[in-house]
Amino acid sequence: MGKYSKNDIRFSSLWNSVWKARNVYMLIIPGLIWYLFFAYMPMYGLTLAFRTYKANLGIFRSPWIGFENFVYVFRDPRFFESIKTTLIINFGRLIFSFPFPILLALAINEVRVGRIKKVMHTIFTFPHFLSWVLVSGIMINFLSLDGFVNSIVKFLGEEPINFLGNQKLFLPFVFITATWKSAGWNSIIYLSAITGIDTEQYQAAEIDGASRLQRILYITLPNIMSTIAVMFILAVGRLMTEGFDQIFNMSNAAVRSVSETLDMYIYNITFRGAVDFSFSTAVSLFKSVINLLLLLLANRVLIWISGNGLFGSKEDLK
Amino acid sequence: MIIFPFYNVVVVSFTSTKEYFEKSIVLFPTKPTLDAYRLLFKDGRLLVGYKTTLLIMILGLPINMFLTVSMSYGLSRQGLPGKKIILMLIVFTMLFHGGFIALYLVMMTLKLTNTIWSVILAYGINTFYLIIMRNYFMTLPEALVESARLDGAGEWRIMIQIILPLSKPIIATISLFYAVDRWNEWFNALLFIRKPNMVPLQLILRNIVIESILMVEASSEGVGSALALDKQIFPMGVKMAAVLVTMVPVMCVFPFLQRHFVKGIMIGAIKT
Repeated sequence: MGKYSKNDIRFSSLWNSVWKARNVYMLIIPGLIWYLFFAYMPMYGLTLAFRTYKANLGIFRSPWIGFENFVYVFRDPRFFESIKTTLIINFGRLIFSFPFPILLALAINEVRVGRIKKVMHTIFTFPHFLSWVLVSGIMINFLSLDGFVNSIVKFLGEEPINFLGNQKLFLPFVFITATWKSAGWNSIIYLSAITGIDTEQYQAAEIDGASRLQRILYITLPNIMSTIAVMFILAVGRLMTEGFDQIFNMSNAAVRSVSETLDMYIYNITFRGAVDFSFSTAVSLFKSVINLLLLLLANRVLIWISGNGLFGSKEDLK
Repeated sequence: MIIFPFYNVVVVSFTSTKEYFEKSIVLFPTKPTLDAYRLLFKDGRLLVGYKTTLLIMILGLPINMFLTVSMSYGLSRQGLPGKKIILMLIVFTMLFHGGFIALYLVMMTLKLTNTIWSVILAYGINTFYLIIMRNYFMTLPEALVESARLDGAGEWRIMIQIILPLSKPIIATISLFYAVDRWNEWFNALLFIRKPNMVPLQLILRNIVIESILMVEASSEGVGSALALDKQIFPMGVKMAAVLVTMVPVMCVFPFLQRHFVKGIMIGAIKT
């Protein structure tokens, strides 16, 4: 008897606090409905990977077939090639593009005149706010066969270079334009970390006669090392998802063999070939799961080195 | 290095096609011409794009802000049963999502494809912005809300009359982020919308600039054929005029608002 009444009390006190907060729930409900329809319904839609798609039944009622779709996916050499391409492009970008924002932040920080600093900052961050459609338009103009770079090449008496349709040049093209677009924006985090460094350290170093380079190497860099580590892990966590916009707008048939990443592959088989939604969804599910694992891994490492995970400390979720 | 490609776009858009091909290096058009712009506006597609994008922004931004503000405020209140579960479900969407195929199929099921609502609703809440906003609301003193509650004000009224006036900077920042995202959006429209009179600006730009050029480059490598597209291909000047016309609004607004953007990423950065 006593046990029941205890539960009753607990239940009624829960009910009381729910009832008390009823108006707060009203605030949350519109957002919740959005998440339900446009985040969780697609997630449930991934079950199509284990069904065979029937147009008249839709995604939620098509019959189950188990792992058959995956059997076909794992038989497709294009699938494995796209994974390879994804890894090559994204690791390349990580190695090539990651250091630039740090260098840029160090360089901007050395500019002593406040106004010039501000103008430089504005110019460097600007490309981040343009879409990849626009940026590839700009780059295509700049690098096309009749474009500016090639007009200089021709002026020097060389054969014009086909930057956009050349398999060997495609990857450098991707890395350089990605850096061009986002280095400025990504440098903001480092710049703020640099501003947070205790100025006394610099003053002491100056008294000891340390050169500019020495100050950067022995004071600035060690002080922003933890920020660099965090940013690096975040970048690793995004390995599978980054860069679709860019590749989609810069690749073409001539460079398909080096530009078909997993996302491109999913898009191409769905909208540019014979449609098989079950098959596409199976690939899509595969990608989402790998991505989830990568992010969880990144989160673990982050908690391990800095005490804070991807989403702030544990207290934030209370 | 950063500026020169932009400069080149401007130059090419004012250079006549003849000069573009005849002179080896064009640093400055000898006879600046507006031909490219005339051709572009005669084509008219870009105007359709502008109209669609503005419509998406006018309808979409209020929805973005309404959903984000009300939900993040609600989730910043103390003593809300089930809050932890809701937060976890929301954060989970950042880690795992259905991908664009599943979203496309959901849109088909909801019969939203080929309507403007597909693009508007597909990007309703950005979870990252929601969390930034919630973090801001958490810093406001609870006593403010409590006293208003004692005066008998409802939650919506507390939010609108007390919290929002105190949150102008964060609201400005997040609206800006949403506005830029909306302006630059193209992929959802590519997936969901097949009607030519409902295509947003970036996608029109893509059609005008990228697709045809890439075809040409590809064909010169011996793959595919540019002939099929021959009639649609504009001279480079027109393409760059299109790039410029799409870029100008962002360019005009950006220098004045850059401060807010930086503030936004800082607030987010403190938490990551």
